Amino acid sequence: MPYEQIEVTGDAGIKACGATVEEAFAAAAEGFYSLLTDTEKIRKEKTIEVKAKGDNPESLLVNFLNELVFIFDTKGMLGKKVAVSSLGNGAIAATISGEEFDPERHPRGLLVKAATYHNLKVESKNGQWELEVIFDI
Amino acid sequence: MAVQTTFRRIDSCRVELPESYKPGMRVKGVIYVDEILESGLDQKCLDQVANVASLPGIVGASLAMPDIHMGYGFVIGGVAAFSMDEGVISPGGVGYDINCGVRLLASNLRRHEAAAKIKEVAAAIYREVPAGVGSKGKLRLLHDDFNELLKKGARWAVERGMGTPDDLERTESGGAIEGAEPALISEKAYERGRTQLGSLGSGNHFLEIQYVDQIYEDEAAAAMGLFEGQVTVMIHTGSRGFGHQVCTDYLEEMATAVRKYGISLPDRELACAPVNSPEARSYLAAMRGAANFAWANRQCIMHWTREAFIEAMGISPRELGMRLVYDVAHNVAKIEEHTVNGIKTRLAVHRKGATRAFPPGHPELPQIYRKTGQPVLIPGDMGRVSFVLAGNEKAMHETWGSTCHGAGRMLSRHEAIRRARGRSIYRELEDKGIVVMSAGRETLAEEMSEAYKDVTNVVDVVDKAGISRKVARLRPMAVVKG
Repeated sequence: MPYEQIEVTGDAGIKACGATVEEAFAAAAEGFYSLLTDTEKIRKEKTIEVKAKGDNPESLLVNFLNELVFIFDTKGMLGKKVAVSSLGNGAIAATISGEEFDPERHPRGLLVKAATYHNLKVESKNGQWELEVIFDI
Repeated sequence: MAVQTTFRRIDSCRVELPESYKPGMRVKGVIYVDEILESGLDQKCLDQVANVASLPGIVGASLAMPDIHMGYGFVIGGVAAFSMDEGVISPGGVGYDINCGVRLLASNLRRHEAAAKIKEVAAAIYREVPAGVGSKGKLRLLHDDFNELLKKGARWAVERGMGTPDDLERTESGGAIEGAEPALISEKAYERGRTQLGSLGSGNHFLEIQYVDQIYEDEAAAAMGLFEGQVTVMIHTGSRGFGHQVCTDYLEEMATAVRKYGISLPDRELACAPVNSPEARSYLAAMRGAANFAWANRQCIMHWTREAFIEAMGISPRELGMRLVYDVAHNVAKIEEHTVNGIKTRLAVHRKGATRAFPPGHPELPQIYRKTGQPVLIPGDMGRVSFVLAGNEKAMHETWGSTCHGAGRMLSRHEAIRRARGRSIYRELEDKGIVVMSAGRETLAEEMSEAYKDVTNVVDVVDKAGISRKVARLRPMAVVKG
């Protein structure tokens, strides 16, 4: 999996990577869903589109993830597969395939309040994109 | 990682971080720790205390309480006051969970009377007060109702039969800060908050049935209606997704303000704007709405807790006698009057993981607590104890009338889970006579006692430092967690 959870006192973080910035952002989003529940248990039942804006890669990542937090909190949408369809000029568009949260089938993981700028990393080195983001729990 | 001699010990309860610690500091840092807690201070926390000390218009010192741990921008356990003319307002000084706070309920029950039915009571509360990821409260807020709630706070719930007017005077700020402006809050925040009123949330939030196991000060305990062996309930939650969205929205707005006003910051999470700027005024007006949401939330949860007790124990409301002792905010920014160099001055006081602790005689306290000082509620972790403190005059001179807020986290969630591997935290708590209802798969391990500093050490420091004083100690009987 192109993401892993990282340790933070009291909170939780995701480290994600990808050959392209689009792949890395998608991995970060899938990593976010892994904090909420066991992603193995998520079925691909519907696909939604998500858009976000940000005037630099860092705020684009934070705003994108916060949009996912918002959509989960209001619609219960859990993503199993995330694909970034466009990223550039201060905007991102992605599709999320998954289903709505069902407490009977989805183990309750962490309640994410927000993605933060704390120790945020969006870096490209040796042809690989690496992202690190910490969530307030 | 312990820190080398970067600070100077002032006395047995305080260390000072000098202005020379980091370039840009405008004032010193003062951290309330004794030698035991000093060993747990890490460099990142000190840097955060120093960063706050570098913000424009900070007055006195950048303060941290003994439950200090790393936060976003500001430390958790931090108190910072800013001048109304030259200072700033920062959403990071409040935190994502606006008006996260604690409410303590007292009852007529004694420990042995509740013990026989404790599982049933905990289960009933668990049904009445949803907890955990994806949980929704029992109410659905319509737009007009929602706007009214944002202005009225706890009063909104009381007017709907969930509590009595007496509850309001036993709530910090009367359960609502004036000046909330619903129009300055995004539709997204409304959407997140609409289904979450009356829900507990997750993480370190909890509802605990406890008993009073020790009284330290008879007179204050009597004024609060507390006695040894009495059953109490502690509710720890905040403004839920509504407040988180307000914080998220305004951090974004503040990032623009930082550029507009040419404020240089060592950390983006410190984003802020001058107190008198439209950006800061808007944030404060939105934050007050979120704070009021949290007070309404805790008021609703108190109501449903009372109902759960009545139903599960088969007793009358009169026999139960469940009443509010007090409700405090521990994540909030307020405009307050304090004395600076002998002159009464209005300041913008940020408390993030810190509790207001006004002393006896303070004009903002209700008559019932004028003599004792404000009750301060300090939740511990679920396996140990919690405390009731009272405010002291010394806090007005040293900490802008503030004290600690809890145990303070020590281990990461992963480390806690690792240490809990092969153990049943549920069983360990049960062996101690503590019933647990938990929604989350790993919440119990993450929130186990060892993940936290011992709250007794934390409380001993603020008591010894004289910024608040111990009144009572509470022990858990049952815990409901997200």
